[in-house]
Amino acid sequence: MSARIDVLLWAQRVVGRKVSSPYLLLDIPPGSDANVAQDAFHKIARMAHPDLHRNGLTPDELELVTTAYARAAAAYQEIRGRTPTVPPPRPVTVQPNRRETISPTGSPTGPTSDGSPITHAQAMSSKALIYYRKAELCLRRGDLSGAVLQLKMAIASDPRSAFLRSALSEVMAEVGK
Amino acid sequence: MAVALGIDLGTTNSVAAIATPTGVELILGPRGERVHPSVVAFPASGGVVVGADAKRYRLSETAHVVHSAKRFIGQNMRAPLVQLALTGVRYKVIEGPNQQPIVSIRDRRMTMPEISSHVLLHLKRAAERQLGTQVKDAVVTVPANFTDAQRQATREAGRLAGLDVMRLINEPTAAALAYGFGRDTDEVVAVFDFGGGTFDVSILRIHGELFEVLASEGDFFLGGDDLDRALAESLAAECQRTLEVDPRPHAALMMKLMMGAEAIKIHLSDNDAAEGEIEGLDLPGGRVGVLPFALTRDQFEELIAGYVQRTIDVTRQVLNAAGIQPHQVAEVLCVGGSTRIPIVRRRLAELFGREPNISINPDEVVAQGAAIQAGSLTGTLTAGTGMGAHDAVATAAHSPLTHGARPPPIPPRRPVLMDVNPATLAIHTAGGYIERLLDKNAPIPIERTRIFTTSRDNQTRVEIDCCRGEKRRYAENEPLGTLLLDGLAPRPRGDLKIEVQFRVDADGILHVRASDQTSGQRQEAHLQVFGAPVGKP
Repeated sequence: MSARIDVLLWAQRVVGRKVSSPYLLLDIPPGSDANVAQDAFHKIARMAHPDLHRNGLTPDELELVTTAYARAAAAYQEIRGRTPTVPPPRPVTVQPNRRETISPTGSPTGPTSDGSPITHAQAMSSKALIYYRKAELCLRRGDLSGAVLQLKMAIASDPRSAFLRSALSEVMAEVGK
Repeated sequence: MAVALGIDLGTTNSVAAIATPTGVELILGPRGERVHPSVVAFPASGGVVVGADAKRYRLSETAHVVHSAKRFIGQNMRAPLVQLALTGVRYKVIEGPNQQPIVSIRDRRMTMPEISSHVLLHLKRAAERQLGTQVKDAVVTVPANFTDAQRQATREAGRLAGLDVMRLINEPTAAALAYGFGRDTDEVVAVFDFGGGTFDVSILRIHGELFEVLASEGDFFLGGDDLDRALAESLAAECQRTLEVDPRPHAALMMKLMMGAEAIKIHLSDNDAAEGEIEGLDLPGGRVGVLPFALTRDQFEELIAGYVQRTIDVTRQVLNAAGIQPHQVAEVLCVGGSTRIPIVRRRLAELFGREPNISINPDEVVAQGAAIQAGSLTGTLTAGTGMGAHDAVATAAHSPLTHGARPPPIPPRRPVLMDVNPATLAIHTAGGYIERLLDKNAPIPIERTRIFTTSRDNQTRVEIDCCRGEKRRYAENEPLGTLLLDGLAPRPRGDLKIEVQFRVDADGILHVRASDQTSGQRQEAHLQVFGAPVGKP
C-alpha cells in the first residue's frame, strides 16, 4: 500500500512544479551527467512506470502518475541532450516578411500571411533574447536566482514583452517555494 | 482468468501467442501452421477468406487478393513512397477521406484497418478455438518506425476485430523482451529486424526488469518483398530473352515470377546454387511457357547487395544515435525471415565483431515478446510486485528461446518496457521554420509543453501546423495535421499565452493540445492526424 502512496506523492510533487530544471525533476544534483540521469530515471521507472500501475490506481490517479512520468522522461531526455532541446537562435532577421515582428521598439506591424504562432525568440527584442537564453541556461543548471537576474535584465531591454514578464513571475513563484 | 493474446501483425505473415504458466504457446492455424499469411481474399464466389487459404487465390483472382496491407495502413495516400509501393500491388487502391488509402474490390470499399481487422479476427478465432475460451485483450506489435497515424490505424484494426488492444509495442522491443525476460542481466543488445516488408534496428539496454530502448531507426519500405522483386526483375529479363515476352505489364505473370523468386531466395539460404524451371507461365496468346533458371548464391547476393548495404548503414546510424560502440553490444538478435539470408548475417558479424544470435526463432520471437507483455499487463504474469519462480512464464529454464538453462538468481519482476519516440515532432512557426517539441529517440510516454504567442496585434486565431521530421524548415518535413485555436481575445501581439502541449503515449501515439491561457476561457483543440482513421484518436 505504501508503494501506492509513495508513487502518488512523487507524482504530485512533479506535476505541481510550475517551472523547474530537469535536475530538480529527477532529484539529482544540478549539472549531473547523462549517466547519473539514466540511473535516476531507471529508479523512477521501477517505481512509477504507468504500466506497473494499470490495475492498482484509479483512472485519475493513473493519469497523474502518467503525466509525472512523462515529464520526468522529458527531463531525462533534456539532460541526455542527444539533440539540443533549445535550438540555436535562428536567423529570424533574414526573413524579410517577418523582420517587423521582432522589432525592438515593438511597434505594431502589418498582418502576417498566416496564423502561425511565434516562438520565444520572436516574442522579444534580439537583445532581450540574449538575456532570456542566459536565463534558460541558469534554469537548466538549477540556478533560480541567476535566472531571475537574467530575466530582469531581459525585461529592462524589452519592457513591452508580456512573454518575459510572465516568465519572470513563474520563476519567482518557484523561488518562493 | 483473462487471456491476453500477443500478436505480431506482419506485412506478409502474422503470428499470435499467449503466455501460460509453462511457457509461451503459439496459436496454430486450421492445419497446424505456426505463421498465418497476412492475406485477405474477396473471391468472386463471395465471402472473405483469410490466411493460407486466401493465398491460393493469388493467381486466379489477383485483383481480389489484398496482401501487404501493412504497407498502406495509416498512410497518407499522397506520400511519394506510398505511390511507389502501390506499383507493387495488383489490387485497386483509391484515395478516401482524410487522405487515407481505400481498397476497392468490385463494389466494396474498405479501409486498410478493415483489411487488417480480418487478419486479427482470424487470429482471435484461432486462439479461441485452441484455448476454448473467449479472447478479448491483446498486445499488438508494430514496426518501431511506425508513425502516429499508422499506430492509430492499427489500434482501429484491433477495435474492428473486437479486440481490446491494451498496448501497441515495437517489434524489436518485443523481441528483446522475449530474449531478455527473466535473465536479470545488465547488458546492451542490438535487435536487427529485417522482415517481409519493413526494416528496423533498435539498441536496448536490458537492466534487470527494465528494457530501455536507447535508439531506434528503420526503413519502412525495405524488406524481403524488395529482395523478391529484385530477383523477379532479373527473372523477367531472363523471360524476355528466352521466351521473347516481357512479363512486366502482365500482373499474373509477374506474381508468378515473384513467387518463384521467393522460393529461389529461400533455397539459396541453405544452398550455394539454385537451378530449375518455373512452369505454368500463362503467356499472352494462350501459350503456356516454362522459364528455366540457374542462379548461384553469389549472383543473388550481388542482386540484393544494395538493400543489404542499406540495412548496415542504418545500423551504424542507430549505434551512433545510441552513443554505443559496436563492441559494447553483448548480443545481436536477428528477427524477421530476411535475417536467414547468409550475406545479411555475414555483414552483421563484420560490423559487430561477433556472430549474431541465431538461436532464437526469427519468425516467432516478436509474438512471444508481445505475449509476455500481454501477460504482464493483465497481471497474470505476476503475483504482487514479484513473480514466484513457478509462475514465471519465461524464466531461463522455460525460456521460449533455447538460450541455456541458467536458472534466474532471483524471481523475475514484471518487465518494464521503456520505448522511444520514433521521430522528431515539431510545429510550424512564423518564418517557415519549425520549433521542436519532442526529439526522436526520447523515452515514452513523454510530455512537453511550450508557450507560444501571437505574431500580430488583435490576432484572433492561430493555426498550429504539426509535423514530423528532422529538417529545420517546415516544408521539408512530413505534415501531420493542423490544430486550430479560434476565438482568441483581441490583444496586442505577444500578449497572449498559447500553451502547446505534445504528449506521446506509451503506444507511441501523439496527442497535441493547445490552450489559450491568458483570456481565462481555457479553450482546447486536439489534432486529427492525416491518414489516421477519421473521427477518433
